[in-house]
Amino acid sequence: MKKLFLVLLALSLAACGGTQINAPAPTAASPVKVKLSMGYIPDVQFAPFYVAAEKGYFKEQGIEVEFVTQFENDSVPLLGTNQLQFAIVSAEQVVQARAQGLPIKYVWAWYQKFPVAVVAKASSGIKTPGDLANRKIGIPGLYGASYIGLRALLKSQKIAEKDVKLESIGFTQVEVLSVDKVEAVVGYANNEPIKLKALGHNVNTIYISDFVNLAGNGLVTNEKTLSENPKLVRAMVTAANKGLADVIAKPDEGVDVSKKYVEALGKGDAATLKIARDVLDASITLWKAPTLGMSDKAKWEAIQSTLLDMNLIPAPVDLEKAFTNEFVNSK
Amino acid sequence: MTISDLLKTNHHGRAQKHRGTRLIIALLSLASVVVLWQVVIWVNQLPPYILPSPLRVWTQFVIVLNDGSLLRHTLITLGETLGGLALGLSIAAVLGYVLAHSPILEKFLEPYIVASQSVPIVAIAPLLIIWFGSGLTSKVLICALIVFFPALINTIVGVRSAEQDLSDLMRSLRANRWQTFIHLELPSALPMVLSGIKIGATLAVIGAVIGEFVSADRGLGFLITSARNNFDTALVFVAIFALVVIAIALYGTVAMLEKILLKWKQ
Repeated sequence: MKKLFLVLLALSLAACGGTQINAPAPTAASPVKVKLSMGYIPDVQFAPFYVAAEKGYFKEQGIEVEFVTQFENDSVPLLGTNQLQFAIVSAEQVVQARAQGLPIKYVWAWYQKFPVAVVAKASSGIKTPGDLANRKIGIPGLYGASYIGLRALLKSQKIAEKDVKLESIGFTQVEVLSVDKVEAVVGYANNEPIKLKALGHNVNTIYISDFVNLAGNGLVTNEKTLSENPKLVRAMVTAANKGLADVIAKPDEGVDVSKKYVEALGKGDAATLKIARDVLDASITLWKAPTLGMSDKAKWEAIQSTLLDMNLIPAPVDLEKAFTNEFVNSK
Repeated sequence: MTISDLLKTNHHGRAQKHRGTRLIIALLSLASVVVLWQVVIWVNQLPPYILPSPLRVWTQFVIVLNDGSLLRHTLITLGETLGGLALGLSIAAVLGYVLAHSPILEKFLEPYIVASQSVPIVAIAPLLIIWFGSGLTSKVLICALIVFFPALINTIVGVRSAEQDLSDLMRSLRANRWQTFIHLELPSALPMVLSGIKIGATLAVIGAVIGEFVSADRGLGFLITSARNNFDTALVFVAIFALVVIAIALYGTVAMLEKILLKWKQ
């Protein structure tokens, strides 16, 4: 009986142990295998990374990259325990994670403008945030970037949440707005408006970034990787930055390269490819900046302020530890 | 005191002793799990966002119990579960009875019945939300869908389990349809039907949570999603335990009902 107990204890300890990954510094001669967790499905929006892979930007930095597709808030705990070194994570998730003690850091700003937007059919008469009062707004859920962005927008216009009618609709924004079950939906500026237009709907888009400057999605790593392997972090940032610059300069190439990674594009007809190009064009307007990859402290302070207002974090976190521009500035 | 009184006293004493022993074993079992849980955390140096300590989970439990949010979300999920259970079981009972008496109809509907079980609920849940809205209706439908198949199969098997000899006897005594149902088919089917309800009760909880994962602004499924977004794993555990309590309570209620209704079998 005692032996059985010890065996069971050992098994349960082993099962919970997990494996921590400690990658060596990258060199072109002996590339380091690195997993990059992105989004929840392969999509043309990840074109900068696909281009960086196809054009050898990761390879020349000594990185053999593998793209992993999973939900962002599944990636973050893995980053925290160093079972993953890199992931694309939204800024508000970084702040929320740090408030819970996760040692992660944002090292490259991919989105320069907060991507969340409110979309309404033109026939609804909703054109400005003020028009949202007393309207039924569909939102994926009362959590995440959509909710945080909407709350920041409403606050900037001095509209209380109780003055709008929020309905949690999951990720069915396009369908639900198409059949007028709600009057507006919250989604991503480079996604829902394009899909609704493709279905023949005339829409108005309220970009939250026009009213509130919040930090957006970017490349995140953990403190262990930063302290033990800063060269790897620099290498990832450099490759990602080059891929991003190329896609901004040549979006057609971005769509072409994405066909290899996004099955629907690979098999896609002209209409699908047109939608992909429109998505990429809309994404580029959110990515462009005088210096690609740079984070702006004011945007981080704005997002932290929103999280504090919403009681999503108990106290401010040290933003110096939440993000850095060290690897964007240096060569 | 008579011998009969002595025997009754002895029996009562033994029963109390057994209940006491069962309680001690249950408490020891719970204590072992808590200790093992804490040991796993210590040995592996696990941070709270990966595996929160029992104390952290307890603290979070007390917080959400005191602020009323745990009870509020639990009642929402319970309501959806009971609604789905009632709907799923009603349709399964009626259809099951009809199909038990009509093999041809059963064959006709078989592909659709099997499909209702085979379609992954997580795939169909967003569609139900688009068709029926994100409110209570879609959640109740998701629960009902999950409960329907096991309840239906158990009803069909239960109704058909009525002994042929007894059925012939009822016919020879010129019993009408209603009399045959009340005095033969229902008592025969009851054990299987109640088994189906027990299975359905626990599945309905899963259905409610899946519906809330896809789209909800309240309920234990929403609480889990919201807690995960905030990396508050302790709160995820609290919500999971609340779901387990609901499932156990429902299962226990049906088991008690089973004891009462099937007393004649013992």
